[in-house]
Amino acid sequence: MKLYIGGAYQGQEELAARENPGAEIISAFHERVREALANGEDPRAFAARICAEKPNAVVAANEVGAGIVPIDAGERAYREAVGRALCVIAQASDTVVRAVCGIGVRIK
Amino acid sequence: MIALITGGSGCGKSTYAEKLIARMPGEKRIYIATMQVYDEESVKRVARHRAQRADKGFTTVERPKDMGGLSVEPGSTVLLEDVPNLLANEMFDGGCADDIFPGLEALARKSANLIVVTNDVFCDGIVYPESTQEYIRRLAALNAALAQTADFVCEVVYSIPVSIKGDSTCVL
Repeated sequence: MKLYIGGAYQGQEELAARENPGAEIISAFHERVREALANGEDPRAFAARICAEKPNAVVAANEVGAGIVPIDAGERAYREAVGRALCVIAQASDTVVRAVCGIGVRIK
Repeated sequence: MIALITGGSGCGKSTYAEKLIARMPGEKRIYIATMQVYDEESVKRVARHRAQRADKGFTTVERPKDMGGLSVEPGSTVLLEDVPNLLANEMFDGGCADDIFPGLEALARKSANLIVVTNDVFCDGIVYPESTQEYIRRLAALNAALAQTADFVCEVVYSIPVSIKGDSTCVL
């Protein structure tokens, strides 16, 4: 498993595709977490399921946790859920790349 | 020795800080909890953090404000969690935000090792009402001042520690 993360539009999606031709890419994973939450699924369990079902997938996601804690409870839960889910994905990944201004910085 | 741990929401800062402290020498481990419990969500958060620390030999001290006035046994290794809550308590709950940094310096002098957990709240691009902007400015200044004095600064990115200053081996 590989993980590509970054702030909005930092190039994580493009890097994931370019560096992994032919691999299955799970795009905008943060939005998948939002859907999982809406379906009542635990974010860690959701991420663990993805890791088990698609161990060779490449996950691309936005980092959404580096802001003021939202007043809205749902938004607050979403941000934290993305963090928890991505911790699971990062632990299961052999490679984690953080995109900054389109440049991939390998952090694992 | 001072270590500063930062990162976004839910990124594994606490888990990493606890791992770091468990690998440090020293018998006395003190956990300073700054968060005030006021609703079900904070009760759950405290319960989760307590469970995480359960078998790690910490003495937990609940201290929402006034770090300078806290007495700790000499030679203690102290984990303080976290600066954003401390700042909110001092700013919005009858404390004194200007005393935070001197208070933390005093706490560092009393401790053998001090690990401080803070938070990255600076990247959502939203312009908030002035009191929140003031909070953000003060948190940024506190983080910068702490980073200046720290031996080790790292950002935890989804469970992965990314060193910003020094190396974790320098604190172990």
